[in-house]
Amino acid sequence: MNDTIKRQLLNYTIPAFMVIVIIVQLFLVHTKQLSRWKGGGYGMYTEIHYSHNQIYIQDGISVDSLEKDMDIKEAFKLLRLMPNNNHLEKVAKLVLKKTQRDSIHMQIWKPKIDSKSGLYTRVLIDEVYLKNINP
Amino acid sequence: MRYLEDIKSKLYEGNKVAIQMLLLILGVYVFIMSQFNSIWKVPILFLGLLIWFFLRDKTKHPIIWLVFLALLLCDFWYSYFWVANHHFMITFVVLSVIAYMYHQHKGVLQKNIQIILVIVILTSIVQKLMSDQFTSGDFYYFMINKGVLFQFIMKFFPESLEVVHSNSESYLNLWETNPNDGQTIVFKNVTPNIGYVSLLFAKITIAFEFIVAIAILWKPKRAWVHILLVLMILGILITRLETAFMAMLASCGLFLCSNFKLKLSYVLIVLGCVTLMVTKLGYH
Repeated sequence: MNDTIKRQLLNYTIPAFMVIVIIVQLFLVHTKQLSRWKGGGYGMYTEIHYSHNQIYIQDGISVDSLEKDMDIKEAFKLLRLMPNNNHLEKVAKLVLKKTQRDSIHMQIWKPKIDSKSGLYTRVLIDEVYLKNINP
Repeated sequence: MRYLEDIKSKLYEGNKVAIQMLLLILGVYVFIMSQFNSIWKVPILFLGLLIWFFLRDKTKHPIIWLVFLALLLCDFWYSYFWVANHHFMITFVVLSVIAYMYHQHKGVLQKNIQIILVIVILTSIVQKLMSDQFTSGDFYYFMINKGVLFQFIMKFFPESLEVVHSNSESYLNLWETNPNDGQTIVFKNVTPNIGYVSLLFAKITIAFEFIVAIAILWKPKRAWVHILLVLMILGILITRLETAFMAMLASCGLFLCSNFKLKLSYVLIVLGCVTLMVTKLGYH
């Protein structure tokens, strides 16, 4: 192999892999609602941390008490990190299965703040309503 | 004076000091991370130590570096979306060092590090520009009023700390309520005009990072470029103790820098950050 080509390959191959990782992260941010904080896209401290995304279940089911189950806790963590409809449905199904309820209405909310007025609100990202077909 | 000369000669040992600093960061980071996915890390570590102990003088392969790389890759396999951004950066820098141990071109290693550093800073700018929360100043406003940024400085201003506690309490109370009720809270400001200050701070952050990235791309070895990089690292450390990431940026600066005082600054930053990582006062 030509020395110049070899040198260029050595210079740029590893950084090129890095760029691929970043492109994948940006793609997931825009298509799967991945938080900018994770995934190797160096977007930490660019938006409010995903842990402030709030999962809410109607009919008075406490999210804190559900999180005592490790599977649910992990699923909730992933939902906060990537709050998309696909994850929301999967998590709702898991909670439905574990709690043996007839139905579930689950929502995911994200924080919103206005620096001019100081107003902090929560905005609904997505919600799902599921019925247990095998009660 | 003899000590000063010793330090000088140590710092002028080319890439050696930078590689030693990187190995130190890597060792501490991997040690802290070893508690995660430990079932898979035990065989890697045990086998790696075994090979290193018996074969390190008989093989040309950088055993220690390969073991560290395997441990980093293990975290990617099981926790890709949970590892920190500097985990990605460390991996790419380690890959560059391992490649260097085979090709032995000092210039190639420095080029790899230069491009990695530029990509990290430029991508961080792109992410900021794409985030409405950041460009509007809302993100900094939230982080400062909630006491997440400038924690260290706020300790010297009790009235600001009181505001932070009050905001956190309001936030927790709101968290307990049903979001469908549409309840809101109004954050108290730690200082007057913090909304305007946050917006200005966001714009300055983007501008300064852009200048640093372009400077590293354009003149990676000039002293003024490294003064800017050191200032950026110290600036970030003042806002939040992101010690592992800052240690990585400093070790990359060390690869590119040839000025004695600046090399010494980088070494002091790395050692300081590593100390804070080990004592868990800083983030890993």
